Amino acid sequence: MGVKLGDIAPRTPAEISDFSGWVMAIDAFNTLYQFISTIRQPDGTPLMDDRGRITSHLSGLLYRTSSLVQSGIKPVFVFDGTSPDEKEGTVESRRHIRETAEREWQEAIDEGDMEKAARKARQSSRLTSDIIEESKALLRLMGIPVVQAPSEGEAQAAYLAEKGDVEAAVSQDFDSLLFGTPILVRNLTISGRRKVARRDIYITVTPEIIELNTVLSQNGITREQLIDIAILVGTDFNKGVRGIGAKTGLKLVKKHGTLEGVMAEKGIEIPNYKRLREIFLHPPVTDNYEIKWAEVDANGIRELLCREHDFSEKRVDSAIKRLDRHFQATKQKSLDGWF
Amino acid sequence: MFKAKLKADVLKEIIEVTGHIVDEIVMDLDSEGLTIKAVDPSHVAMVDLMLTKNAFQEFEADDVSIAVEMDKMREVIKLAKAGDVISMEHDSERNRLIVTVGNIIRKMGLLSPSSITSPKVPDLELPANVILKTDEIKQGIKAAESISDHVTLIMEPESFSMEADGDTDEVKLKLTKDQLIEISCKERQRSMFPLDYFSNMVKAATNSSSLKILLGTDFPVRLEFTIAGGNGEVVYLLAPRIED
Repeated sequence: MGVKLGDIAPRTPAEISDFSGWVMAIDAFNTLYQFISTIRQPDGTPLMDDRGRITSHLSGLLYRTSSLVQSGIKPVFVFDGTSPDEKEGTVESRRHIRETAEREWQEAIDEGDMEKAARKARQSSRLTSDIIEESKALLRLMGIPVVQAPSEGEAQAAYLAEKGDVEAAVSQDFDSLLFGTPILVRNLTISGRRKVARRDIYITVTPEIIELNTVLSQNGITREQLIDIAILVGTDFNKGVRGIGAKTGLKLVKKHGTLEGVMAEKGIEIPNYKRLREIFLHPPVTDNYEIKWAEVDANGIRELLCREHDFSEKRVDSAIKRLDRHFQATKQKSLDGWF
Repeated sequence: MFKAKLKADVLKEIIEVTGHIVDEIVMDLDSEGLTIKAVDPSHVAMVDLMLTKNAFQEFEADDVSIAVEMDKMREVIKLAKAGDVISMEHDSERNRLIVTVGNIIRKMGLLSPSSITSPKVPDLELPANVILKTDEIKQGIKAAESISDHVTLIMEPESFSMEADGDTDEVKLKLTKDQLIEISCKERQRSMFPLDYFSNMVKAATNSSSLKILLGTDFPVRLEFTIAGGNGEVVYLLAPRIED
């Protein structure tokens, strides 16, 4: 998922506590997908309630978000709207991967290969509209603002960051930089340990900060050139050129100035490249949102999670308390305002 | 001109009600009695105290303002025994207050009233109020003080609650309609307040058996009670803590 620009994006490691007091726009789809794919049992089965409905997303949202909130972070969740048509290819290939993975997951379980089963299960993850709607409902009960993007969530998150309504955009994908977020924070919503793919070892994952200005200045390029590199490498909206990764892309764009120059030199044809640039430079965004944290609806949360989805009351209550604490991070007013 | 005699207990009440808000007070006197209005240096809390002349054994005053230091008043009150009557007379020429306690005469140097700002009391429309036994809420504060530095007051049509939430512990005082002297609340109101201020205010009200609390969401809270055996009234205002 997302464009592979890691090789040319300098990152600064950070601690969760570094973000205390920050308002952060979290890419909701990206985060929910992480929850759905990683919050699973050892054989890959997602968390489910008594009626077999998936609850991995609810679990992740409640526990992870409340611990962010406890660290003093003020999260805003930005949800995707309608994707540009150009994303259809990505959507299609993801669907294919999912369907294949789902089949192989079952085969692996039958073969007793739990490691493979878990891997295939993760790959079969998908966000259904039920999962999305339920997540929005839970966030609202938690008093966390939800912003509906007209198109890509990352574009809207970047817009919020550019406007200064939030301090940073939070996503695993580097696309946020292409959309123009001044600061991208990765690894914020996943827990501290992550399994290395296909190996039975875990690495500690810590948050990292990527600043757009640093990426541009260290590579000596403009944002437009960064977008051109991304188009060469491949984005969610195009396949990219075989054999060109971030480093080669950088070298080529710097040498020839623009994508047009690279294409002419290399004899490459990317038919819709102008439209691709537009997707990143001028994506549809909206000013129709409100960033306001509301009181936690503790009863509503218990109703949804404990009554409807069989969550443990004790754990839910302790997460509610963590959330509540945040809302008591209040300021003492003076009487002057009432004279 | 100001010349009066009052029971030591009444003077003590005045000091208890105002002394935790400010270090210096201005007593505004006229033929009807005494008023003190004061706001604390951070403008978080305000007191508006009024004593009629009936609160005094003897009372005579023209319009005059006298500014005193609370510490000096405390020194005077320490000299008094229960049931003592304290007499006061303003020496306007030397700007001193001549205070007689038993056989001791203290000539107290005064401040210039103009050096102390006398606040206006804001006129607030607070949508809900309760009247409750002072002892009930005092108990609640006692329970809350060890665990938190703020309290949340909540009024609902049928109840009044006070909640404190600490790192590990919670305290909740809930009084239902039948446990309250009076309640008037159409819609739920909820505000959070600094506990130290609120506690001092409630403690100052202990001589009064009942306390009226007026509340509005994210508005200052207003406390009202009587002192000096019903011959005086105190109004406190305390600004809320509000989310950023």
